[in-house]
Amino acid sequence: MDLKGRRRRVLPGFGITMGFTLTYLSLMVLIPLAGLFIMSSRLSWTDFFSRAVLDPRVLAAYRLSFGAAFIAATINALFGFVVAWVLVRYRFRGKRIVDALVDLPFALPTAVSGITLTTLYASTGWVGGLLAPLGIPVAYTPAGIVVALILIGLPFAVRTVQPALEDMDVELEEAATSLGAGRLQVLSRVILPAILPSILSGFTLAFARGIGEFGSVYFIAGNMPMKTEIAPLLIIIKLEQYDSLGAAAIGVVMLVVSFSMIFIINMLQFWSRRYQ
Amino acid sequence: MAIEARNISKKFGTFQALNNVDVVVPTGELIALLGPSGSGKTTLLRIIAGLEQADSGAVYFDGEDATDASVRERRVGFVFQHYALFRHMSVFENVAFGLRVKKRSERPSNSEIRDRVMELLRLVQLDAFSARLPNQLSGGQRQRVALARALAVQPKVLLLDEPFGALDAKVRKELRRWLRRLHDEIHVTSVFVTHDVEEALEVANEVVVMNEGRVEQSGPPDHVYEHPVNSFVYQFLGNVNLFHTRVRDGRVRLGDTVLECNGSHGEAVVYARPHDIDILREADGPDLIAAGILRIHAIGPIVRVELQRDGDQQIVEAELTREAYAAQRLIVGENVYIRPRQAKVYPK
Repeated sequence: MDLKGRRRRVLPGFGITMGFTLTYLSLMVLIPLAGLFIMSSRLSWTDFFSRAVLDPRVLAAYRLSFGAAFIAATINALFGFVVAWVLVRYRFRGKRIVDALVDLPFALPTAVSGITLTTLYASTGWVGGLLAPLGIPVAYTPAGIVVALILIGLPFAVRTVQPALEDMDVELEEAATSLGAGRLQVLSRVILPAILPSILSGFTLAFARGIGEFGSVYFIAGNMPMKTEIAPLLIIIKLEQYDSLGAAAIGVVMLVVSFSMIFIINMLQFWSRRYQ
Repeated sequence: MAIEARNISKKFGTFQALNNVDVVVPTGELIALLGPSGSGKTTLLRIIAGLEQADSGAVYFDGEDATDASVRERRVGFVFQHYALFRHMSVFENVAFGLRVKKRSERPSNSEIRDRVMELLRLVQLDAFSARLPNQLSGGQRQRVALARALAVQPKVLLLDEPFGALDAKVRKELRRWLRRLHDEIHVTSVFVTHDVEEALEVANEVVVMNEGRVEQSGPPDHVYEHPVNSFVYQFLGNVNLFHTRVRDGRVRLGDTVLECNGSHGEAVVYARPHDIDILREADGPDLIAAGILRIHAIGPIVRVELQRDGDQQIVEAELTREAYAAQRLIVGENVYIRPRQAKVYPK
């Protein structure tokens, strides 16, 4: 028996599970992504930049994709917190139904939600009809894209904050109140700092999902070049024109930008978790 | 400040947590609410703090009705069993919290806050740890931070809910001695909840023994210990031996001991503490209780002897000092006689 050089682990199965994890991640994530890089490497640097970085239409699409996803994720982080708060803190009739509703955007085919939102927010729709006289068009504008991304990202924001709120000790709030803090002070000084890491994870997930979302946005965006054309749509357009290299190049840029943004948010999250 | 809780009742669903409870805490005293779990002691404390609302009854602070005052208005310092420290704040910021959330007009300046916090941290002997986070401290240190935090707002009363409950035995002992000293220094009216008899008797000026939502007895610790008003208090305060007997003409016989009893007839139970049981090798009179020695635990200053009565086979526990044990040289299996030096009778 080899007991000399190796330290025995208490939990068995490290080797096999780690091996499985690496294989699985390679097959499902790393190899496809690597393929993307290899494919786009067939382009020269100048070609790559002129097609995927400097082209004004592509630039506008990046700005829209990342911008709308960022705004939607921010709104989701805020309202997702409120929804999670209500679901955790209060008991009311139909709570289970509301709880189940939160997951619905996960299950719905994104095209269906896109078409539904478009109908609702078009100037002839129920909501759009109310907003149009106020001079706020939603469908076929960047605002519409944000609305679609909010719907898609909401479950992430709620489901990450919910367990953190459930775990939070009510005694912390009682302690703060007994020390003289008002409701708002308890919220801003005690509750929010305690669940900030979870809010950030929810934000990251919603953001990442928003960057890649295509189906629901496709219908509500109107897809006008330079105005309401998102980057994933540009990829499809390139592919339809048999420009798979150009599509891959855009994919690579999105990947790099997404990865660095998510990495930065994760660092933030790590920092906000430092006391745990 | 004096605290009065009058006719407090509280139900949780169908469970009667408190039933017409009256408790008075005179200014500057340190009193213990003592009882088994489910006796309502924590609920009473939370009602005094305003964290819980009583169904009926009133709470007075210095004679003023505070029943409807909010937690904030009551200005109580509350210390939780599991500390409830803010994990994302340093020790310093935890203690400063109560000062930082004051209205701008009342809020001390930053330098005043610093002085006050450091003074409190010195008081709880943690001034060297001000920059640490709560999870870098031991349990005892965390509870001291919680105490300093509660004291920072200069509360009129200090309420502690099982403050040493989550600590290990040694730290507990240290901390309760320290709490006693602290109270002697600052004299803030304090109430603490505990289920630990030794803790209550050692720390408090006055003990309130609670059971099933009622106050069974209150008074100075030595008085309550020496004169328990009923069998519950007697049993709760220490180890006991029970002897089932009958009352005849207001008297109870146990071996050759005769005890007075209030009830004239019927069954009664005689309670005797193990340290009040004498073991005799030779019968020095008639009617002694015969017993055999089952087991002897001779560890520490007190020797515990387990005996079995000859008649009803009941187990009796006796505690001897090491000297008495050495003089008698008792052996397991030996037949001896027992006699309670002191006992109490409560009718059944």
